[in-house]
Amino acid sequence: MAVSRNKLTRKDIDKMSMRSLTEQLAFSFERMQAIGFCENMGPALKKIYGDNKEELAKAMQNNIDFINTEPHMATMLQGLVLSMEEKGANRSLILNIKNALFGPLAGLGDAIFWFTCLPINAAISCSLASQGNVFGPILYMIVGVVLALTRIWFGRLGYNLGAGAVEKIQSNAVAITKAAGILGVMVVGALIPSYVSLAFPEDLKLFSTVSVQGIFDSIMPNILPLGFVFLLYWLLNKKNANAVTLIFGIIIVSILLSLLGIL
Amino acid sequence: MTITLLQGILLALVGFLLGIDQCTEAFSWFRPLVVSFFAGAVLGNVQVGLQSGAVAELAYLGLLTVGGTVPPDSLMAGMMTTVLAYSNASLTPEAALGLSLPFAMLAQWWGVICNTMFAMFNAPADKCCANADYKGLTKLMALATFIRCFGIALIVFLSAYAIQGPIQTLVNQFPAWLIHGFTVAGNLLPGVGLALLMRVMLRKENIVFLFIGFLMKSYISMGNVLPVAALAACIAVISYSLDKRMESANAAAGNGGNDNGGI
Repeated sequence: MAVSRNKLTRKDIDKMSMRSLTEQLAFSFERMQAIGFCENMGPALKKIYGDNKEELAKAMQNNIDFINTEPHMATMLQGLVLSMEEKGANRSLILNIKNALFGPLAGLGDAIFWFTCLPINAAISCSLASQGNVFGPILYMIVGVVLALTRIWFGRLGYNLGAGAVEKIQSNAVAITKAAGILGVMVVGALIPSYVSLAFPEDLKLFSTVSVQGIFDSIMPNILPLGFVFLLYWLLNKKNANAVTLIFGIIIVSILLSLLGIL
Repeated sequence: MTITLLQGILLALVGFLLGIDQCTEAFSWFRPLVVSFFAGAVLGNVQVGLQSGAVAELAYLGLLTVGGTVPPDSLMAGMMTTVLAYSNASLTPEAALGLSLPFAMLAQWWGVICNTMFAMFNAPADKCCANADYKGLTKLMALATFIRCFGIALIVFLSAYAIQGPIQTLVNQFPAWLIHGFTVAGNLLPGVGLALLMRVMLRKENIVFLFIGFLMKSYISMGNVLPVAALAACIAVISYSLDKRMESANAAAGNGGNDNGGI
């Protein structure tokens, strides 16, 4: 027996995308974002199935399994799931596509939003804030809202591309990730001299004549902060150091060097 | 300066409200720059809030909740850096950042407890799905969010208001070298955030861009990193379009579809 399905409008998708701002609520280690992912699609699924409670229940049960992705990408996946539900696609196909996509999409979303947009926003806003300008945090908040609103676009993208979204995204992911990497890395390079400061006291002298800091300054300004950040990078990357261990290490070593009068 | 009961309650309220954003990760308002700004406003000293926010934001830049891991809590770091710098005249925001770490870890543990505890919500969630009741899922999400944010508000209240006396007594006994040590550490800690970002983004093919960013900021006088970010965005667009062109050229040559963007 054929199930009757109502069509969704663009407004329904946009509403879902806004609802999707809460996608991560009730996060748990067991199924991660499952509850929010399912809940956000509720009103749209209800519209598709009308009074057919049985089908609505089946559709919801198909989406209450483990999922963990980047929140913006979750919105796109929700749009994709809705377009497939609306067309009456096979549920196990929907589930397989969702499960195949959420991991790679998480990597892409993290690269774009959390490792590129956030640091750049932070860099600019912090340089305003540290000059005592209240516009710093205000700019940060505004950019945060704008980035959140891009979910409308992601929701529509997932819905419009349907299953074709997979191919489209995968064909662009490598080039986008590479371009985002260039952008992010270059900003990080500029942030090192802006916010990491490491300098020996002026009266610390070798053989009581040569200023230690003067030697480093004559090689290149900010060479010590640069070397320090690369040391941390090496510890994280090659020695698998834990970030919290590094933070504690920095505090302890700084206090010791301060006690000895070296820093 | 002493924090009044009213200020303590208002700080807890800030923690509660921005804590909701921390659960959703929707607007990035849970980040230290924003938290410190509001905390500074509550305490009647926006300048302390701006300075504290800038140092804490950068130190926690790479410490993001990515892939379900829980790092030291950035919201609490922003809150307590501001509170400690405000209530202890001898502490600069940089020194307060180091001392805020135990509080950030306390909130981190609360986050881990919540993420573990909320696995209990999965059984009721399954039931909601079977009954086609998405509003039941909404209630579960609201309950989980309330529990978690109430806990955050409580930690803020206790840390900022209830134990401020003992903290001040402790800090007043710190010798000068210890406070200087914390300041040195505060100047170095943003390096951890940057090194964590590098671990994610840095590749052999883009390391040269890190040096371009570093050299620009070191040798050219600029108010903030916006010029570097703008140039980096241009280079990213060039890289993307070159990769796409290479890809279509490869496809035209009949060997496309199996390479990684034509490097």
